[in-house]
Amino acid sequence: MNNHLDSLFNPENIAVVGASNNPLKAGYVIVQNLINIGYPKKIFPINIKEDHICGIKSYRSLYDIEDKVEMVVLIMPAGAIFDVMKDIENRMKSKNDIKVIVCASADFAETKTPEGIKRQNHLIEISKKYGIRIVGPNCIGVIDNVNRVDTTFVETLLPKESRGKKGGISFISQSGAVAASLLMSGASQPAPISFNKFVSIGNMADIDFIDLLKYFENDEDTKVIGLYLEGYSDGRRLINTIAEITVKKPVVVLKVGRSEKGASAASSHTGSLAGSDVVYDSAFKQYGVIRVDTLQELMDTMQAFDSLKLPDDGNVFVLSQAGGPGIYCTDAVSNQNNLEMPIIEDITKEKLKEIAPAMSSICKPEGYADITAAANVRHHVESLKVIINDSNVSSVLFITVVPTFLPQDKLAEKMIDLLENEGYRNKKSVFISIMSGNYVWECRKSIEEKGIYTFASPDQAVKALANMVRYSKYLKRIKGGSANE
Amino acid sequence: MSKFLNELEANKMLSSYKIPMIKSIACKTKEETVIEAKKMRFPLAMKILSPHIQHKTDAGCVFLNVSSTKEVEENYEKIINNAKSYDKNARIDGVLLQEMATEGLEVIIGMKKDPQFGPVAMVGMGGIYVEVFNDISLRLIPIKKDDAEEMIRETKLYKIIQGARGIKYDMECLVNVILKLSEMVEKQGEIQEIDINPFFLYEEGKGGKGGKGVDALIKLS
Repeated sequence: MNNHLDSLFNPENIAVVGASNNPLKAGYVIVQNLINIGYPKKIFPINIKEDHICGIKSYRSLYDIEDKVEMVVLIMPAGAIFDVMKDIENRMKSKNDIKVIVCASADFAETKTPEGIKRQNHLIEISKKYGIRIVGPNCIGVIDNVNRVDTTFVETLLPKESRGKKGGISFISQSGAVAASLLMSGASQPAPISFNKFVSIGNMADIDFIDLLKYFENDEDTKVIGLYLEGYSDGRRLINTIAEITVKKPVVVLKVGRSEKGASAASSHTGSLAGSDVVYDSAFKQYGVIRVDTLQELMDTMQAFDSLKLPDDGNVFVLSQAGGPGIYCTDAVSNQNNLEMPIIEDITKEKLKEIAPAMSSICKPEGYADITAAANVRHHVESLKVIINDSNVSSVLFITVVPTFLPQDKLAEKMIDLLENEGYRNKKSVFISIMSGNYVWECRKSIEEKGIYTFASPDQAVKALANMVRYSKYLKRIKGGSANE
Repeated sequence: MSKFLNELEANKMLSSYKIPMIKSIACKTKEETVIEAKKMRFPLAMKILSPHIQHKTDAGCVFLNVSSTKEVEENYEKIINNAKSYDKNARIDGVLLQEMATEGLEVIIGMKKDPQFGPVAMVGMGGIYVEVFNDISLRLIPIKKDDAEEMIRETKLYKIIQGARGIKYDMECLVNVILKLSEMVEKQGEIQEIDINPFFLYEEGKGGKGGKGVDALIKLS
C-alpha cells in the first residue's frame, strides 16, 4: 500500500460526507473548523438535501465534484458506509484522486458487533482496492497547523487568530476523548498550545502508531512527539520504531493500563491487548521514552520540551520569591532521583547578597534562595541573571507569587528582556512558575507568547524538568558518554 | 509442549556461555554418590535432580552442609523418598552433588518471554523471598552494557552492591552475567525461561572472585 501520509496533512481539497447546517451536529463543526483554521484549498460538503453548508456549495455525492479531492472526511451515520463506499468507488473509477479517508464516524469494529465489524471490513476492503489510506474509524480527526487543516469536530473556543499557529509538538491519540480534552485544555492556557500535527487514530483500521511515528520522525517541524497509548498488538515493533526516534527527538508517552483493572478497561476500549505494563515501563526506560502519569504532566512535559532548552544535567537552582512555595518546590525536587541542588560559586553568592533585598535567605540550604516578598522586578530579574551565569547551575526553577505591589506587566517585560532579548533562555533552562490563577494570567500570557512556557505550580515545573533531565541523560548515555554519574 | 532442563543440564548450558556456575556432579545411585563425594571437598550440598520438582526445598529434597560419607548415604535415601512422596509422577534423574558455595550477596538473574515483547531479562534481589521483596528490574533483550548497568541501578540491590552494609560487591561480574545471558538467549531461540536463583555475588576486588550461580532453571519450548 502506498504511503499518502503527505495527503493526510496537506490534502489538495477536502470533501466532508455528512456535513450539516445544524450547529449541534459534528458534521457542522468539522466544516466550521476547516473554515476557522483558514484551510487554503477547497472544501466540498456532501449532503443529500442541502444546497449550501455553512455558506459553501454542497454536493449530493463525491462523484459529482469536478475538482480534485484528495481527502474525504466521513461523519455520516455508520449505516450509510456501504452507499458512501459505492460513491467512492465510482469516483475512483473515473477520477482516481482520493488519497485518504478520515473516518470520524463511530459504530464500527470498536462495538465488537457483527454489523460493526462488517462495516469496518467493507471500509478497509474498498479502500485497499484503490490504495486509499484510512484514519479511524471512531476518531475525532486530524489537525495540521502548518498547512491549516482541521478535520476535528471538537470545539475548543480557541480564538480564530490563534488557529493555524504552528508549534513543535505532534501528537497521536488512541482515544478520541483524550485527544479532544487535550485540545480543549490546551486552548485554555495563558497562551494556547500550538500543536504541529495532531491525529486521533481511533480503531487503527489502517494508519496506526507506526506509520505516524515514522512520519513524525522525519518531519522537520516536529520537535517533540506525544502519545496517548492504550495498547498495541506488537509491542516490540512499536518500541523498535520509537527507539529510532528517541535518538533524534523526545517521545513523551501517557500509557494507561498500569493497574490490572485499567488494563482490562483498555483492552475492551480499543480491543487491543494492553500488554504487560511492567515490560512496557522497562522498555520505555531502556529506549529513552519519557513516560508520564497524568494529562497535566503530559502537557507540561511536551511544552517544556518544545519551548525550553534541554538541561545538561540535573543541577537545578531553586529561586523563590516566597518561602512556602520555595520549600514546597524544594520537596518536589528532592523527590526526583535525578535532580540535585548544587553548591554555587562564592562569587555568585556574593552577588546575590548584593542584589537581593536585605532580608533574603541565600543558599540556606545550598542551591536555594528566597528573595522574599520585598523583591521588586529588578530583584527578580537580576537574581535570575546572576544564577543563570553560575557555572554549577544547569537549570533554574523560578517561583514568584505576585503581590499587589509588584507590577506584573513590568515583571513580564523585564523577564522577556532577559530571557528572549538578551538570549538568556539559550544559556540555561529556566522553569518559570508564576503563582497563580487568573490574577497572573496576563503576566504568564505575555511571557508564553514569546514561546517560553510557564507553569501554574512549582511541582508541575519540577516534573517537567525531571523528565527533560531524564531525556538529556539518555542522549548522553547512548551517545557514548559515561553511564556513571 | 514446553520442557524443563534438569538442574545439571541447566548448569552446563549456562557454563557453556561462560556464566560462572557452582561445580556439580550428578549421581544415579547411592554408591556412586558416595564415591563422587569422597573426591570432592566437604561440606557438600545434595539435591534432587528432577526436571519436575522446582521448589526443591519445599519438597524436602535439599540438604546443605553435608560433612561426612555417612551423611551422604542417609541423605540420599531421604532425598529420593521425599521426592517420590512430593510428586509421584516426577521423573527422578538422580541426586546432584555440589560443592557448598561460599555465601555471597543473593541475586536473581533471569529471562522470560513476553507475548508482545519477546525475551525480557530480569535482575534483582535473590533468595527465597524474591516474590515478597519484588525488587527486580527488566530490560528487553538484546541488552547493551549500559542497559545492564542501568537495570542494576534501578534495584535496591544496587545500594547493597555499592557498599550499604560495608562490603562492596562485584558489579562488573553481575553486568557480565546479564550480558552473557542476553547473548545466550539470542543464540538459543528455544529457551523460554531462565531463572538463576540464587546467584552469589562476591566482594569486589580481592583476586576477583566474581560470583557463582548456585541453582538454575531453564525452560525450553
